[in-house]
Amino acid sequence: MQDAVLADRIQFAFTVMFHYLFPIGTMGLAPFIAWYTVKGVRTGDEEALRTARFWAKIFTINFAVGAVTGIPMEFQFGTNWAAFSTQAGSVVGQTLMMESVFAFFLESIFLGVFLYGRAYVSPAFYAFSAIAVWLGSWMSGFFIVATNSWMQHPVGYALNPDGRIALRSIGAVLLSPFAWWQYTHVMTAAVLTGGFVVAGVGAYYLLARRDLDFGRRFVRAGVIVGLCASLIVVFPTGDGNGKDISNYQPAKLAAMEGLYRSQRRAPLSIIGMPDVQHNRLIDAVEIPAMLSFLAYGNFQANVKGIDEYPTDQRPPIDLTYYAYHVMLGLGTIFIAIMALAVLLLILRRLYESRWLLWIVMLATPFPYIANEAGWTVTEVGRQPWIIYGLTRTVEGASPTVVSGETIFTIIGFIGMYFVLGSLFLLLVLREIAIGPEHEEALAAGPEAV
Amino acid sequence: MNAAAFVLIAAMIAGYVILDGYDLGLGAIHLLYARTDRERSASLAAIGPFWNGNEVMLISAAATLFALFPKAYAASFSGFYLPFIIVLWLLMVRGMSIELRGHFESDLWRGFWDVGFSISSALLALLFGVAIGNIIRGVPLDSSGYFTGTFSFLLNGYALAVGVFALLALAMHGAAFAWMRTDGVIADRAQRITRLLPFAVFVLFAIVTAMTLFIHPAARNPALWLAPILAFVALVGVLLARNGAAALVASSLMLLALVTSAATTLFPSLLPSYPSGAGLDIYNAAPNAYSLNNAFFVAAIGFGAVLVYGTLAMRRMLARRIGTS
Repeated sequence: MQDAVLADRIQFAFTVMFHYLFPIGTMGLAPFIAWYTVKGVRTGDEEALRTARFWAKIFTINFAVGAVTGIPMEFQFGTNWAAFSTQAGSVVGQTLMMESVFAFFLESIFLGVFLYGRAYVSPAFYAFSAIAVWLGSWMSGFFIVATNSWMQHPVGYALNPDGRIALRSIGAVLLSPFAWWQYTHVMTAAVLTGGFVVAGVGAYYLLARRDLDFGRRFVRAGVIVGLCASLIVVFPTGDGNGKDISNYQPAKLAAMEGLYRSQRRAPLSIIGMPDVQHNRLIDAVEIPAMLSFLAYGNFQANVKGIDEYPTDQRPPIDLTYYAYHVMLGLGTIFIAIMALAVLLLILRRLYESRWLLWIVMLATPFPYIANEAGWTVTEVGRQPWIIYGLTRTVEGASPTVVSGETIFTIIGFIGMYFVLGSLFLLLVLREIAIGPEHEEALAAGPEAV
Repeated sequence: MNAAAFVLIAAMIAGYVILDGYDLGLGAIHLLYARTDRERSASLAAIGPFWNGNEVMLISAAATLFALFPKAYAASFSGFYLPFIIVLWLLMVRGMSIELRGHFESDLWRGFWDVGFSISSALLALLFGVAIGNIIRGVPLDSSGYFTGTFSFLLNGYALAVGVFALLALAMHGAAFAWMRTDGVIADRAQRITRLLPFAVFVLFAIVTAMTLFIHPAARNPALWLAPILAFVALVGVLLARNGAAALVASSLMLLALVTSAATTLFPSLLPSYPSGAGLDIYNAAPNAYSLNNAFFVAAIGFGAVLVYGTLAMRRMLARRIGTS
């Protein structure tokens, strides 16, 4: 049984971490595409429309891979987590269904209009379809985060005597403050990634001395959006999310911070390595009392350490701790890079500062790592619970699926995703190599013959 | 409310079969009527703006089943673990084939994806038919509703016959769509296929009907014969259709009647137990009443909206035929 659960968890972790790389791209690029399309349609600025179409091609590749890797996520609730789906289906079934009926159709139908329909629809409807794609991708994100938040902090339900969960208020689930802090944090992180990608591609064009007008446009838009998002991702959204964790998931907080003993004036560790054998943090560099302040707004507050919890209620400390510190460290670096870039932009020296353009270009993958690290904190730090405080992860797995079956499908997914990932990189890099100046009238795809 | 939820699920499955059915069917036979690179590109362009939205119907049907009948969703997806994962992989291969083909102008590259598109589409149509066959026949379930049979149990004669029936019916549906959406030589060939396939569909229709009457005593109730008779009339309609649009409407009606027939035979069961026993039905698989009501109204409102804006958006896109020039 334990082996089977471990295989189920590895498969879910692998498939969701791979899948999530692509929604970051669609959610992060959608606002740029909508902005440039509306701008182009309103002012007749042909360059803006070209910019929108260039990013729409990259968006489409992201969308296609995101869609085909997203279906396995939906299916795995049933295939690998049948006991959880039976117990909590009245809640998580609702939110997942809402995602498909409200978000998926909107996004896919209007993406079809945006990509293929420019010749048949009015300019206003064309612009509207770009906005609808944006709306669809962000609503999709909301329902997924609402599902996840409910598993982190269940609300609006009652527990039946037979152990099944009965939904009592869908409003409480959808309007849960926990969900909204998590959602705004996640979406800002996606926009931050979009900013870095746009700026990074622009920096590449400037460094390669080609597509210069577009390059400047991309760098300018990317760093401005990137700076705003890298600040908002820390405050207020990261802060709000962190306070929720402090209040509702203190064991996760202790693991994130590597705080082994409960204490007043708890320090914030900047650097340090958790020593899981001896329950301590080694080589720690700490700011005294800072954690008490960040978690509860008071330097004197008592923060619970890992020692407060029985061993069977502790999350894996090392993984949670490192994932959190990777996210936090990268977030700090993002602010520094983007602040410097915006400063040089204001001083009108950014496009000539090749050293900074190099940094901006090479920074492109790192927001993806920060996003994945953040979700690792959320999910690993929630263990050993699948529904926080109610149901353990081991109780949620499918009773009839054995580990051998899941190991077989994990191997299959690894092979399939290796091919998919390689093709994704090939196609995106090819679009970037072609560049916006040589963009054809129609997006690449079946019709581009 | 439980019965209304059943009708909603059946309607979504019918919607999925009719919508994604034509692009699955088109994929299964596109090598037959589209022979050159240019013809195949045109044939793919015919479904280009639609296939992804159609596939969303499948995910939505699964998600709606999850919300309305969580127990049935959990038991069937985990019980049929391997077949479901294989369906996932085929969907991936198919999605890649459609999206990636056009990116490089190389015969090898395009030929590879053309064959991948065809094989994955045909296998998916077959597997969906096998699934429906097994649901009608029933599968071994334990007392808490989980599947206890084996993979080979699912490949029984009846389910395979329904699978072949589904493949042929969707191929005919896809040929009608290609006939309607394209012009020139590929439209001519698609028309010929649309005229030939009804005979094969009829043979399988007769076999499956006879087998159903034999294994499913409830199907002997004459009240349940109306839907299959309508399906047969619609099949004759496909044969007599003068243009692609009429053939597509007739084949859509046939698929609707067939799904209705399967649903009415099954009702109120969702997954019967084989050879006998309680199985999962619309009462023991449902969540609490508040949750069911809420899910039903959300789904009804959501799909109402999708129908309105989907039709508005797609009508303009359907207006133009895809030529090979």
